[in-house]
Amino acid sequence: MNLEDIIQKTKTYYCLECGKCTSICPVARYDSGFSPRMIIEHALLGFEDDLVQNKKLFSCLTCYTCQPECPSDVDFPVFVREARSIAQDNGQYGICAHSGQLQSLARLMTSPAIKQNRLEWLSKEYRVSEDSDVLLWVGCAPYFEPIFEDLEFSALDIIRASLKIMNLLGIEPKLLPNERCCGHDALWTGDVETFKRLAEHNATQIKEAKVKKIVFSCPEGYRTFKLDYPNHVDLGCEVQHLSEFLAEKMGQNGLKFKEIKKKVTYQDPCRLGRHLGVYDAPRKVLESIPGIELIEMKHSGRESICCGTSAFTNCDSYSNLLRAERLSEAAATGADVLITACPKCQTHFRCAMTDKGEEHRPTPKIEIMDLANLVADAIGEE
Amino acid sequence: MEEIRIGVYICHCGLNIAGTVNVEDVAKYTATLPNVVVSRHYRYMCSDPGQDLIRSDIKHLALNRVVVASCSPRMHELTFRKTVESGGLNPYLYEHANIREQCSWVHDDRKLATNKAKDLVRAAVMRVHHHEPLVIREVPLNPNVLVIGGGIAGMQASLDIANGQKKVYLVEREPSIGGRMAQLDRTFPTLDCAECILTPKMSDVGHHPFIELLAYSEVEEVSGSIGDFKVKVRKKARYVDVDKCVGCGDCEEKCPRRTGSEYEMGLAERGMAYIPFPQAIPNVATIDRREERPCKAACKEACPIHMNVLGYASLIKEGRFEEAYEVIRRTNPLPAVCGRVCYAPCQEACNRGQFDEHIAIRELKRFAADQELKMGKGKAVPVERTKEEQVAIVGSGPAGLACAYDLVRQGYPVTVFESGPEAGGLLRWGIPEYRLPKKMLSNDISYIQDLGVEIKTNTPVKNLSEIFDQGYKAVFLGTGAGMSQRMGIPGENAPGVFHALDFLKQVNFGVEVDLGSKVAVIGGGNAAVDAARVARRLGVEDVTVVYRRGRDEMPAIPSEIEEMEHEGVKIEFLAAPVKVLSDNKGVTGIQCIRMEMGEPDASGRRRPVPVKGSEFTIEVDHVIMAIGQSVDKAVLPEGLAYTDWGTLSVDPVTLQTNIDGVFAGGDVVSGPADVIGAIATGKRAACSINAYLRGEELSIEEGGKVEKLSEEELARIKQRFASRKRVRAGKLEPEKRIDSFEEVEQTYSPDEAQEEAERCLASMVEGCFECGECKQVCEAKAIDFEQTDQIVELEVGSIIVATGYDQFDSSVIPQYGYKRYANVLTGLEFERLTCAAGPTEGKILLKDGRPPESVAIVHCVGSRDQNYHEYCSRVCCMYGLKYAHLIKELANAEVYEFYIDMRCFGEGYEEFYKRVSEEGVNFIRGKVAKITDEAVIDEEKGKLIVVSEDTLLGKMIRVPVDMVILCSALEARSDAENVARLFNLNRRADGFFLERHVKLDPVATPTDGIFIAGCCEAPRDIPDTVAQAEAAAAKVLSLISKGTVTLEAAISTVDEAICHGCGRCEEVCTFSAPKVISKDGNLVSSINEALCKGCGACAVVCPTGAITIRHFTPDEILAQVAALTEA
Repeated sequence: MNLEDIIQKTKTYYCLECGKCTSICPVARYDSGFSPRMIIEHALLGFEDDLVQNKKLFSCLTCYTCQPECPSDVDFPVFVREARSIAQDNGQYGICAHSGQLQSLARLMTSPAIKQNRLEWLSKEYRVSEDSDVLLWVGCAPYFEPIFEDLEFSALDIIRASLKIMNLLGIEPKLLPNERCCGHDALWTGDVETFKRLAEHNATQIKEAKVKKIVFSCPEGYRTFKLDYPNHVDLGCEVQHLSEFLAEKMGQNGLKFKEIKKKVTYQDPCRLGRHLGVYDAPRKVLESIPGIELIEMKHSGRESICCGTSAFTNCDSYSNLLRAERLSEAAATGADVLITACPKCQTHFRCAMTDKGEEHRPTPKIEIMDLANLVADAIGEE
Repeated sequence: MEEIRIGVYICHCGLNIAGTVNVEDVAKYTATLPNVVVSRHYRYMCSDPGQDLIRSDIKHLALNRVVVASCSPRMHELTFRKTVESGGLNPYLYEHANIREQCSWVHDDRKLATNKAKDLVRAAVMRVHHHEPLVIREVPLNPNVLVIGGGIAGMQASLDIANGQKKVYLVEREPSIGGRMAQLDRTFPTLDCAECILTPKMSDVGHHPFIELLAYSEVEEVSGSIGDFKVKVRKKARYVDVDKCVGCGDCEEKCPRRTGSEYEMGLAERGMAYIPFPQAIPNVATIDRREERPCKAACKEACPIHMNVLGYASLIKEGRFEEAYEVIRRTNPLPAVCGRVCYAPCQEACNRGQFDEHIAIRELKRFAADQELKMGKGKAVPVERTKEEQVAIVGSGPAGLACAYDLVRQGYPVTVFESGPEAGGLLRWGIPEYRLPKKMLSNDISYIQDLGVEIKTNTPVKNLSEIFDQGYKAVFLGTGAGMSQRMGIPGENAPGVFHALDFLKQVNFGVEVDLGSKVAVIGGGNAAVDAARVARRLGVEDVTVVYRRGRDEMPAIPSEIEEMEHEGVKIEFLAAPVKVLSDNKGVTGIQCIRMEMGEPDASGRRRPVPVKGSEFTIEVDHVIMAIGQSVDKAVLPEGLAYTDWGTLSVDPVTLQTNIDGVFAGGDVVSGPADVIGAIATGKRAACSINAYLRGEELSIEEGGKVEKLSEEELARIKQRFASRKRVRAGKLEPEKRIDSFEEVEQTYSPDEAQEEAERCLASMVEGCFECGECKQVCEAKAIDFEQTDQIVELEVGSIIVATGYDQFDSSVIPQYGYKRYANVLTGLEFERLTCAAGPTEGKILLKDGRPPESVAIVHCVGSRDQNYHEYCSRVCCMYGLKYAHLIKELANAEVYEFYIDMRCFGEGYEEFYKRVSEEGVNFIRGKVAKITDEAVIDEEKGKLIVVSEDTLLGKMIRVPVDMVILCSALEARSDAENVARLFNLNRRADGFFLERHVKLDPVATPTDGIFIAGCCEAPRDIPDTVAQAEAAAAKVLSLISKGTVTLEAAISTVDEAICHGCGRCEEVCTFSAPKVISKDGNLVSSINEALCKGCGACAVVCPTGAITIRHFTPDEILAQVAALTEA
């Protein structure tokens, strides 16, 4: 795809240059060097070099704040995604966080020969079944364990909680021993080749598994399977986020919660919220737990503020300012716990709260927990 | 049969066709087709030389069929039919082939396109063989015109047509014509005042002999077609007789219900009876009555002075206490008094009582009065004296005060003569403080004095001729019935026996009265209860009321009896004193006899009869007699006539006594009665005195009947409303009462009052609830609640639709804070602010009344935005500039225009832009992201902050301002779909009505005889709207000038030999053209040629093939199809 194709695809030529995107962009609010309007204008003027050489191209969170507001309906996040692939073709990358471990892992997993010990963590207390028609997607969780150890965060705990909930609902899901990275980060940073290979590998695995439904605890995987895979591969099954899966089960027989007396607030992950429009399901789940009082943040739902980093790229000081703002909003609700439905949100928020470099600008501290963990606690035995 | 000679003409359409199709090749090919005599190609067949070519060939080559292959038949079929006709052939001997839209424009391959063109032309040639000459008929066109919408477009079109002396019916939905333009203040770029240029036109429309204005009306049904439309118009009931109404506005002023004025964009209020704006045409009131009132307003009818309970209850409900008090004041001179001691027949009658509990009307009245006093208001403005004749009122009780109150408000100089030291009569000296605090009474009286009534206390009137000698022209006697009646039993005069009124008077005037420890009160009326309760408060331990009948017969107010018992007073029912026992120190007791209830007497009351031998004694120290009062003739002037009962004798209608010019009312006429009854006669006397002094016929409007709800009405209420108990006002605890004269009944809190007022069934309806206040004040007697909607049937030949636009609802963009922040306004709202006749009298003010120091104008709100409207609204840039100029001029504030592109394209527009730029307005290029009140820095505190990118600087900016004006988009009317359906119009994707051709036929619609003008077609400014209206008028006038309508010749025809008369054609036709009729004993379909459009629907459903469409016969179509399939 060249620049002209991207302009056609994202209807960028409709741009009125009105600047609304920039004026509502959460990144531009802190980083005056980042302007979606300017990126678009450069593209329209045909300055392809300017565009791909611009490191700020990788600062966009692709959080979808701008697109619904654009008077000309320009799909800026998709524009950025496609422009990044041209940048990658020209040897330009964003600044990879965590020394590029996560990007490297994704690329490693494209190799068919690679052997993973993905399910080592799976202990006897969880019941899984080879014959199940429901698949629980594990995703990056096992790889996150060592990388984010210092954040006192276990992504696998979210998977364990999901498994526990499903078991208590009488469902013994299937887990894939040879899952690969879903390719979300690769796609959004412009590494389309890696994404395609991962997608193909995963699609083969899933077809062989012969399941009817895949449940995700991670909104990024969910978005990728739901919106991006169909452009490349055929899965032949339904996909659902855990919150939607649970919301459907709420009020059904056998699902009993114990009381958890807590005030909570909820972070809408951008992939689940603005990308896929899932706002109600997680709230419905929260409200079903007795004792839980949900207090919304100043910006919630469609207006939610992003956790500040996407695809582990360009995680800069502006990202941290954005996180601090969001955490301040969470703290201002007076909630005991900030609930998210995305493991990435959690890593980024936890990271901000432990950031030593930001001592002069203290970040509010608040307990943070995934929706799955809260639900698992609520339906666990007394 | 005549030889068929065909001419074929292939048009190049410049390179439009010739660029893709080898026209020469096509022409060569067609020359080989059967019966083709000549085949040519030419650059522009539609041009004059092109058409001449055809005419010349017809003449010289004797052609009798013509085919042109060019553009779409929609574009030029008619053109060439006319060419053929002018060449001497029937126009239906022509066939059109489309090789542009359906060939050259949609293909790239020259060879294939050329082949396709050949096919298309061949098909046309084969078809034209079968064409028959058709007869073209004309029918007369009705010269009357219907115009829908009384905005500037509709008015202009109507005037143009009417000036041509053609009859116009102008239908306007709103009560007045004027439309949106009437709401505008000034118009860009000349800054003419919209009103100044519009109102003369409105007036012209209103008075034009050729315009029949149907305002407050809506079209319900349209049938027929061009030349002969039949239209049903609903003239909505205004509930005002427009022939009587003079547009004085009194009804609106007095209407107790207010709602946001549509004309003022909700920035000001109007009554339910209203005239939308002062220049309204027709200048008559309209009553905004939307539903039936669920109750019968029995409260109002039951009240002796017919107080507007509905009105003040609904105002209290809305928290508009001051206005509620005003409504009460209009009829009642003593609100605080009546709010306490009235026996409230209204409550007894209240229809809600049939449902759950009556409304606490008295408490609401009292609340309104007390609230005003609490707020330190209730001051009266003196009434101007407009009348010469002085009136003397004798006695300052409720009757006298009411009479004085009504007379002074009519402009009479009024003097009240009071024999006692203070005004108020029985209210002051007869009613104890705990029921009616003196302060409240004095407040009511001082209000009356403030109005201009002079009260002379300590001034008894003994001689009427002296009064007349002093120049008084009329006298009202309201001296009451203040003499206590005697019982006529032994011992009545013993020391220690009081008469109730004397007793109460002494207590009220602060005289110490010693009652000992045991008191009997004789009687069962209010005076007895008052005396007993006062006795308790004076420290008497043991108080017994002795009453000769039972509890149910006690005439005192039941709640008072109840409270009395709470305070520890005993009642001895069915007992009558026969003797007061006393010794030398005073009273020792009373001897009583038991009574039993006998047969009812003439008045319906059962008479108590003594039970023989049942005497018994009650030991008491003191006795208070409260067995009734009578008129004290001694206090009245001489020469008056009395009735047998010792009351003054008066004419029952005029209330005049036997002496000319002397009137009387209240207890002195009726004998002891209630406060509200006394007020009623005082008011009635005022009416009578006015008639007497003016030498007019006395006319008193009697109230209606007190009606109850029927079973069905009650059932409906039960279904619609939830039952709710009355809100109880607080009461002083009984233990606290006996130590003081503090008021027992507490007043409602504002919340309680509102909650109680919400229970009023009448106030639950939307719009007018027929309280009748308007009817009372309307001197022209124009109000008519019996009016109903009228259906008017019109016959017209052509129609112009000019229904205008709606303003985009900016609150759907939450980021802009419209309706959330008080100082975020829309354009139309701002228009009202700068208008001299608007709610701020032309001052640009913030909601808190300050002038703004800075204003932001946000362009493209809802326009040029894929999320709302893709189109540009065309007027916003210009009115935005106008606002900037006005803000500079009127408020000298800083102005920021947030724009994307400035579009200033009209006459004088660019110049205006330049002028405003020179005035120092800040232009910021950028679409506003949001408007917020969250300050980040000190300068932003208390401001609205407009957040945007300045795209020319590439910088994010936050501009703190005091006021934001949103240039909200113009959008299609919310009911455009209904209008479209009614008039058979089409709508574009943007919702506006579709014109026949965007460039070449901009005011016609696809339906013949129906035209559109103004903003219902697309957003546009006033000059363009007027031009369009004039264009539509010209179109209509040209139709009328021609006088006939050409009927389509290619219409259905029925072969009666085949037709069964099955009626399917009748069902399917949307134009009602076919009718099944009986002909020679057979049922056959018959086509009304005037109605048939030749659409072909009937031919398709016809099961027998009896129906064919001329010019589209099976022969013709099959020949064409066969030609296409043969290649």
